[in-house]
Amino acid sequence: MGYNLLEALNVRVIGSGDRYLLLAHGLGTDQSVWQRILPLFTPSYRIILYDLACAGSVDPDYFDFSRYTSLHSYVDDLLNILKALGVDRCAYVGHSVSAMIGILASIRRPQLFSKLILIGASPRFLNDEDYHGGFELGEIEKVFSAMESNYEAWVNGFAPLAVGADVPTAVREFSRTLFNMRPDISLFVSRTVFNSDLRGVLGLVRVPCCVIQTARDVSVPASVAEYLRTHLGGRTTVEMLRTEGHLPHLTAPALLAQVLRRALAR
Amino acid sequence: MPTSVTTARQFLTEEATRALDEAVAVARRRSHAQTTSLHAVSALLSLPSSTLRDALELCVGVSLDRLPSSKSVEDPPISNSLMAAIKRSQASQRRHPESYHLQQLHSSNNNNANANGCSQTQSILKVELRYFILSILDDPIVSRVFGEAGFRSCDIKLALVRPPVTQVSSRFSRAHCPPIFLCNLTDTVSGRVGYNLLFPGHEDGIDENCKRISEVMAKKSGKSPLLVGVCALEALRAFTESSTKGKSGILDGDLAGLMVMSIEKEVNELVIEGNEEKLGLKLKEVEATLEKCNESGGVRGVVVHFGDLKGLILDGVSGDFVSHLVLKLAGLMEAYRRRLWLMGAADSVEICRKFCDKFPDIEKDWDLQLLPITSSKSSFDGAYPKSSLMRSFVPFGGLFPTPSDLKGPLSGRNQSIPRCNLCNEKYEQEVDAIMKAGSTVSVADQYSENLPSWLRMAAVDTSKGEDVAKTNSGESMLSAKVLGLHKKWNDICQRLHRTPTFPKLDINASMSQVPTVEGPQFSTDLKQRSHGDLSVNGSLFPNQSPSRQIHMQKKFLPKSTASISCTSEGRNMNFHSGLHMDVPSLTQQTDKDMPWFHHPRQSLSSCSGRTHTPSSFVPPVTTDLKLGTIYASTCQESNTTKLLNHKEHLQHLSGSVSAEFDANSETTSYQFAQSSSCSGPTSGEQFDLGDYKSIRKVLAEKVGWQDDAVNSVSQAVSQLRHRYRSSRGINCKGDNWLTFLGPDRVGKKRIASALAEVLFGSQECLVSLDLSLQDKVDHPNSIFECEELNSYDVISRGKTVSDLIAEELRKKPHSVVLLENVDKADYGVQHSLDLAIRTGKFPDSRGREIGINNMVLITTSSITKGNINVICEKKGMKFPEERILGAKNWQMQILVVSASDDAAAGKSNYTGVRVTTVKEASTCTSANKRKLINAVESSEVEKTDTQEREHKVPRSCLDLNFPVEEADEDDTGSGQSKSELLSESSESWLEELLSQVYKKIYFKPFDFDGLANKIVKEMRLQCERRVGSGVALEIDEEVMVQMLAAAWFSDKKGALEDWVAKVLGRSFAEAGQKYNLTPQSVVKLVACEGGVVKEQAPGICLPAKINLN
Repeated sequence: MGYNLLEALNVRVIGSGDRYLLLAHGLGTDQSVWQRILPLFTPSYRIILYDLACAGSVDPDYFDFSRYTSLHSYVDDLLNILKALGVDRCAYVGHSVSAMIGILASIRRPQLFSKLILIGASPRFLNDEDYHGGFELGEIEKVFSAMESNYEAWVNGFAPLAVGADVPTAVREFSRTLFNMRPDISLFVSRTVFNSDLRGVLGLVRVPCCVIQTARDVSVPASVAEYLRTHLGGRTTVEMLRTEGHLPHLTAPALLAQVLRRALAR
Repeated sequence: MPTSVTTARQFLTEEATRALDEAVAVARRRSHAQTTSLHAVSALLSLPSSTLRDALELCVGVSLDRLPSSKSVEDPPISNSLMAAIKRSQASQRRHPESYHLQQLHSSNNNNANANGCSQTQSILKVELRYFILSILDDPIVSRVFGEAGFRSCDIKLALVRPPVTQVSSRFSRAHCPPIFLCNLTDTVSGRVGYNLLFPGHEDGIDENCKRISEVMAKKSGKSPLLVGVCALEALRAFTESSTKGKSGILDGDLAGLMVMSIEKEVNELVIEGNEEKLGLKLKEVEATLEKCNESGGVRGVVVHFGDLKGLILDGVSGDFVSHLVLKLAGLMEAYRRRLWLMGAADSVEICRKFCDKFPDIEKDWDLQLLPITSSKSSFDGAYPKSSLMRSFVPFGGLFPTPSDLKGPLSGRNQSIPRCNLCNEKYEQEVDAIMKAGSTVSVADQYSENLPSWLRMAAVDTSKGEDVAKTNSGESMLSAKVLGLHKKWNDICQRLHRTPTFPKLDINASMSQVPTVEGPQFSTDLKQRSHGDLSVNGSLFPNQSPSRQIHMQKKFLPKSTASISCTSEGRNMNFHSGLHMDVPSLTQQTDKDMPWFHHPRQSLSSCSGRTHTPSSFVPPVTTDLKLGTIYASTCQESNTTKLLNHKEHLQHLSGSVSAEFDANSETTSYQFAQSSSCSGPTSGEQFDLGDYKSIRKVLAEKVGWQDDAVNSVSQAVSQLRHRYRSSRGINCKGDNWLTFLGPDRVGKKRIASALAEVLFGSQECLVSLDLSLQDKVDHPNSIFECEELNSYDVISRGKTVSDLIAEELRKKPHSVVLLENVDKADYGVQHSLDLAIRTGKFPDSRGREIGINNMVLITTSSITKGNINVICEKKGMKFPEERILGAKNWQMQILVVSASDDAAAGKSNYTGVRVTTVKEASTCTSANKRKLINAVESSEVEKTDTQEREHKVPRSCLDLNFPVEEADEDDTGSGQSKSELLSESSESWLEELLSQVYKKIYFKPFDFDGLANKIVKEMRLQCERRVGSGVALEIDEEVMVQMLAAAWFSDKKGALEDWVAKVLGRSFAEAGQKYNLTPQSVVKLVACEGGVVKEQAPGICLPAKINLN
C-alpha cells in the first residue's frame, strides 16, 4: 500500500550520499520548484522529493476533501512516505505550508528529523492582538472571493506578487504550477492554511531549526522569522537572505543553496 | 500572457479543436480580447452534438454580454485560464492510459507541429473533447455561471463521465488501486469500490480536533488530553459542547458512554475568590458518578474538564488552593484509572511548562498528554459553507447527493443522518449489544499492557508503531461488525423509507465517509487510533534512552531545552577542547596574517562599511610580518597605506564574515572570523540611513577606537528604531537585546551610555550593573571607583542580584540597561534573564515582573565564544586590559637621582625614556627601599621577551618586603584560568541566551600599547622642552598603567595630552629648577603607593599636582 502512496504523490529519491534530505514544496508549486537547487545537493545527499496531495501534479482525484481539512493529514502523508521509504532520519527543508507541515511532523516524530530548515515559514498568517502575521481576516476573505470569482486574474496578480523579485522566468514558472492546481483545491487548501495556527505548539518542537527568510516577503513579514526563532523549542537560527520574495528557490537558487548548505552542515 | 490560438490547437484532438475554433469565433464575434472558458462553453453549447442543455446557452450568453468588449482581434487569443484548463485536461487524460494509446497515433501524425515552442519533445497529448469539457467546467468563471443558472458543474460532469466511470473503476480495482492513505486502511479499502473520486464529498463530519482528542483518550494508554495551541480552548469548548449535546459521533467506540463534567466554573471561583466549597461539592459529585459507573451500563466513565490551564497559574492565585486541587484530582485519577479523564487547554507550550514547573509530577499524576491543536474548526465552518461555489467546484460532489442534500437546505450539521429515527434507534440497539461483548475485549486489551506509559511510548516509537496494527486487531473486528451494522441499517432505511430518491450508490458513499453519519464510527476510530499511537507518542518526548525517559517522567518537559541539552553539552565540550588545541595556531595566524588585528586604532573604517558582498570566503589577507609588530611605531604610516591597499580583500572578508554573522556557527574557522570581527552591516534588514549615520556620529565621538563595533551598534539601533516606527514594528522578544562581546570594558560602557543619550535623551537613562562584582574583592582607590562605574555593592547587602536589577529597572522604565559580565551571572540572574528575553518581562526573585519592552538591554561579556580574543590579545601585549582595570589612583612623584646611584640598572650611559617596573616598598618617602626590577627601553621595545620578563621576573625576585598578593594580582594569566573555570552549564546557558539576542557586537581590544608609546613620546618631548635633552626619563610602570587607565576612561579627547603638557610639564620645569639636572641625572616618575590623589586634574582622573621630593 505504501507503494501506491509513493506513486500517487510522485515520490522520488535521487542523488547519492549517506544522508537523506527531504525537500518539500509549498503551496502553489510542486517538486519541480527545487529543480535549480537539486544539482547542488545530489552529490552529497539522497534527496527525497514528493508532491503534496494538493499539488497540481498529483491526480486531483486523490485529493480527498473530507480528509485534508487540516495540516495533520499532510503530516500523515509525509510520515507515511518516510516510513514507506524506510527512512529513519533525514534533514527536512520545507517551504511555506510545508514548513508548517514539517513543524508538526517533527513534533510528532522528533527522532525522525535531524534538522528543520524552514523557508518562508509562518506559524500563523493572520494578524492577532500582539502578533503580526501579515494578513487581516478581511483581506483574506477578499482574496478568497477573488480566487473564487476569477482564478485566472487572481493567479496573474498573485504570482508576481508572491515571487516578489523581478524574475520573469520565476513568475512564469510559479504561474504554471499554480495554474496546474485545480482552482477548487487551491482555494480549499488556502483556507486550510489560513485557518491553521501553530503559534501555541512551536515550543513543542525539539529539533534544531533554521528559519530562512528573505528580506521582503509578501506572505511573511520579517517579524515572523523572529517570532519563530524565539518560540520554537529547539535551537533555532534565522538566516536572512539578501533577496526578495516568497520563493527564493525560484528567484535566487544559488544564494539559497549556499545558505542551505551552511544550515545543513551545522 | 494569452496564448495564440494555433498553439492551443496543437493540444487538442480534431473534435476538440473544432470546439475551440468555435469558441474563438464566439469571442471574435463579440469583440472580446481573449477567448475564455466561457466562450468555449458557449461554443460547446452550440455544437450540434452538444451534451449541454439549452437553458445554459442563455445563461452563458448573458454572462458573455457582461464581459467588456475591446477592439476586435482576428483571433482573440486563448486566455490563461482556458489554457490552464487545456493543460489540466491533458494531465487528466494522461492519467487514463486507455485513451492514451489512441492519442499517440494522433500525435505521431502531427509531429511537425511540435516545433512551435512546445517544451515537450516527444509527443503532444491530444485532448479529447470529453476531457476538455471536464476541465473547462472546473474553471471558476464557468462554474459561477452554471451556479447562477442553477446547475452544478459537477452535475454536468457526471452526465459526461457516467459512461467511462464503470470502465475506469473496473480497471482501478485490478491494476491501479487508488493510493492508500492512512484513512483508508484495511476494511474500508474493500468498502471503497473502485474509483475513489466518487466519494470526495466534503461533508461536515465531526470536527477534526474532536477526532484527535478522542484518539488520545481512546488509546490503550488512555491519556488525558491537554490541548495546546492558540485555538485549544475553542477546540475544548467545541468538544465538550458537542459531546454533551448529543451522542453524536464524538465519544464513541471505546469512549461511548463517557460523561463530560466541567469543573471550569468552580475552578475559576476557587482561583478568583478562594471559594473552595463549590469545587469540593463538584468533585464529590464527580466521585459519586465515578462510583456508579462501575455498576450501571449507562455511564462508563467521566471526563472532567477544567478549562484553561492559565487560570491555575495566574500570578495572584494562592498556590495552596491550586496544589490542593492538583492533589485531589491526582488522587481521583489514581483511584479511577481508565474511567476518569481530565481535559484542559492551554494557549501555548509556555503555559504548560510553567504549570509543570510548579507541579513537576503533574504529567504522571494527571496522566496528561499534550495534544497540539493547530486549527479551529469553527472558523472553518463559518467560512466554508458560505462559498456556494466551493460546492460546485467539488468535482462530482453532487454526483451522489450528500446526506444534507436530502434533507434540504434546512438541514444543519448535526442533522446529517442518513437514517430515519426509527432505523437509527434499532441500529443503536444492535450496536449496543455488540458493544457489550466487544468492550470486554478492548478493555482486556488495555490492561494487558501494564508497562509504564513512558516506556511503552518509547517502544512504540522505536518500532515505528508497527505493533499498533497488531494490538488493534480485536478492535478492528469489532468496528468491522459495527460498520456492517451501520451499512445494514442504512440499507434498510433507504429501501423502506426513501427508496425512490436515494441513489443506490450512496451506501458506498456513506460507508467511506463514515464521519458524516451519526452513530459510532469505529472505522475512523480505528484508523485514527493507529496513527495516533505512533504520532502522539512521538510528539512530546524525543526518546533517547530509557533512563532519560524516566527522568522525563519526573520532570515533564523540564526547562526549555531539556531534551537537547545533554547532547549539546557534549558537543560543547568537544568543541571547547578542540578549540583550545587550535588556539596556538590560530593566534599565530593572527599575528602573521592580520596586522590590523593589533592595530585597532587604524581599524578598517573604510572597509567596515556597507559592503553587501556575500562572496565566498576569501582567505585571510597576508601582509608582512613586520607590519604586524605592536610597537613598531615607525612603521605605522606605511602600515596604514598597506592596509588601504588591501582594502579590497578586506571587504571581501567582511562580507563573508557578515554572511556568517548570524550563523552562530560552531566551527572554529567561523569563530575565528567572528572574533577577528570586521563586523560590517550584518543583515539585509532595512533601516534609516540617516538615523544610522547620526547615531554613528554620536557613538564615534564617544568611542573613537571601536569603529567596527560602533558601526554595528548604530546599525542595530537604527534597525530597531526603524522597526518600532514602521507599521510592521512588532516587538519581538529579544529584539531589544544587544550583546557586546570581547574586551574593552570602558568602550562598551561608553557606548551604552551614549546610546542612553541617543535613545532616551540623557546619559542618566542608563542602568549599569556588573554581574561579576559579587565575587570580586573590593579594590580600594581604583580608578574605576573614582569614575563611579558602579555604586552597586553599597546597596546590595541582603538582596539577590536579580532583585537589585529589578529594582533598578523599576526606577528607570525607559532606559538602556547595561549588564556587564553576564557570563558571571549567578543562577538566579540567569533564570531571570532567560525569562526576560523570552517573555519581555524581567522577573525578580519573588516572581514579580517588570516589562522591559521599553528598554534596550545590553549584556556584555569579555569572553567571546571560545575565548579567542582574550587569548590572542594577551599574547605579546605589554599592557593587557586586566592590568589597566586594576589601576590605582595614586599620587605621583618625581624623583631625581643621578645615574651613578642607579648603577644597578647597568645602563648609566643611556639617555632616553624608560618604562620601568618599580616596586615601591611602602611609601614614596622611603625611596631607597625601592627596587628596580626590570627596565625596558621603550623606544626599542622588542616584542619577543618583554612578556616573559615582565611576568616571570617579578616573581622570581620576590622581595620579602612586598605583600605576596600584589605580585599575583598583576598576573594577567588569572583571567584566563578563571574563564576556563566557568562551568559547562553556565557556558551553555550563555550560549543559549546569546543566541536569542538581536545582535552580537564584537569589540576589539583597546590598543594600550600603542597609547603607551604615544604617551612616552609625548613625555619625552615635554621633558626635553622643560629640562633639556640630556636628562634621562624613567617612568614607573604603575604610573604608566595609571595614565593609560585615565586616558581610557576619559570622556575628553586629548585629555591625557593636555595633562602631560600642563601638569607634567610644569612639574618637569619645577624639578629642573629645584635640582641641578645634569646629563647624569635620571628623572623618575613614580607612584606614591598609598598616597591618594588629593586634587584631580580637570577632565581626567590624574593628579592635578605631582610631588617633588
